[in-house]
Amino acid sequence: MMLRRFTRRTMLGAACLLTLLPGLASASPATDFVSSFGGDLAHVLNSSEPVSQKREEILPLLRKNVDIQGIGRYVLGRYWRVATPAQRTRYLTLFEDVLLYAVTVRMGSYQQVSLKILGEVPSPAGTKVTVSVERPRQPSIILTTVVSGNPPKVVDLYGEGASMRMTQRSDYTAFLSRHGGQVQTLIDALSNQVARNRNVSSN
Amino acid sequence: MACRRSTTQRKMGRTNTVRALAGCLALLSVSACGSLRNPPPKDPEALADYKAANDPYEPLNRKMFSVNMWAYHKALRPVGRFWKNNIPRPIRHSIANLNETWREPSVFFSDVGAGKPRRAGDAFMRYLINMTAGVAGFFDVASLAGYPQHETDPGMVLGMWGVKSGPYLFIPFSGPTSFRDAAGYIISQGLTPINYAPRGYGLISFNWGYNILGTFNQFADETDQLDQLEHESLDPYAFLRSAWQQNRQSQIDALKADNRATVPDWY
Repeated sequence: MMLRRFTRRTMLGAACLLTLLPGLASASPATDFVSSFGGDLAHVLNSSEPVSQKREEILPLLRKNVDIQGIGRYVLGRYWRVATPAQRTRYLTLFEDVLLYAVTVRMGSYQQVSLKILGEVPSPAGTKVTVSVERPRQPSIILTTVVSGNPPKVVDLYGEGASMRMTQRSDYTAFLSRHGGQVQTLIDALSNQVARNRNVSSN
Repeated sequence: MACRRSTTQRKMGRTNTVRALAGCLALLSVSACGSLRNPPPKDPEALADYKAANDPYEPLNRKMFSVNMWAYHKALRPVGRFWKNNIPRPIRHSIANLNETWREPSVFFSDVGAGKPRRAGDAFMRYLINMTAGVAGFFDVASLAGYPQHETDPGMVLGMWGVKSGPYLFIPFSGPTSFRDAAGYIISQGLTPINYAPRGYGLISFNWGYNILGTFNQFADETDQLDQLEHESLDPYAFLRSAWQQNRQSQIDALKADNRATVPDWY
């Protein structure tokens, strides 16, 4: 009841489900991009390599096709301006680590998935491309990627109506406002989170 | 004797419910006095965030969230994990189906209230098929027949007709809501026929049973997500609030945009 379907599991886990888009009809530069990006990811995810190896191969693809810096800056909101250049650099490094971990940690749990592009609509943030994710013996998931920029990149992901970057922004700004607006406290918390994630990955 | 005992239990259950509601109202009254209400910040940017969160009762809500998570760690999570790991999936699915089917009349009336005949027809057919071929709702035959489950509730209908949500609320053991959706929940109880079963009738016990079991079953399914929320968020309360508010608005938008024609379906 509390969470139903709108968790980060849906939003971020689904990011690695962009894998089975090749072969879908192309309709615009945005859908072409999503289809191409998905094809590259599919090549890695559908291979017989171990998950750790797949992760190593997927990370550069995500860095190339997801606007991690832009999302990170958006997520920090009004605190971006008060952060020092050194804090911004450190924050973006940690944010990238947290984001990539969240996307890749569950990629092994998505198997035999088929995707279908349902359509696209323009929006102020970019072109929204909606995709249906279908999994065997499980309900399908509808997610929406927001594509923007030149070259195009993924700037946001919606699952069950919730924007990933907006939800993350609420998380971080609430944390900061409860810690006196000190960006360093956020950096410290993210450092701890990254260290925890690495421990989980290595175990 | 058994009958007397069950009557007593029912009374106790209702008394506890009334107490819980009275407690919530009392806390809200206190918050109305200002002690549990966040004053609007003066900084324009902070004020914009404050308005976007729509959570003036944040201090109270955070306390309620803490109570919820304390109970989650102390009791609910272990029991929920046990349930999920030991009850076979088909049984858990049947409990979920039962819960959905018996709530279907409320969905139907909500769809009618929203002026969406196609959705109302789907809800009507789901109830008809699942109560018969689905053996009183244990099996979701209607989905196989082309009538997938959908959610419509009075809170969504009120939102569709322009009623403001009012401040965000967090109710322990229930979760995120708003003044509008809390009112919608009360209306939905009025739109659920089983709630009108005569006192002393066995259906009342069934009503409490399937509601509690259904809620618990759903909760057990969500333990992974709660764990993930705690693991990956710096402020789980704020993360959940934002995700819920966005999801709720998207449900209302989807209801508003659902203008499917009823033809060729007979309804």
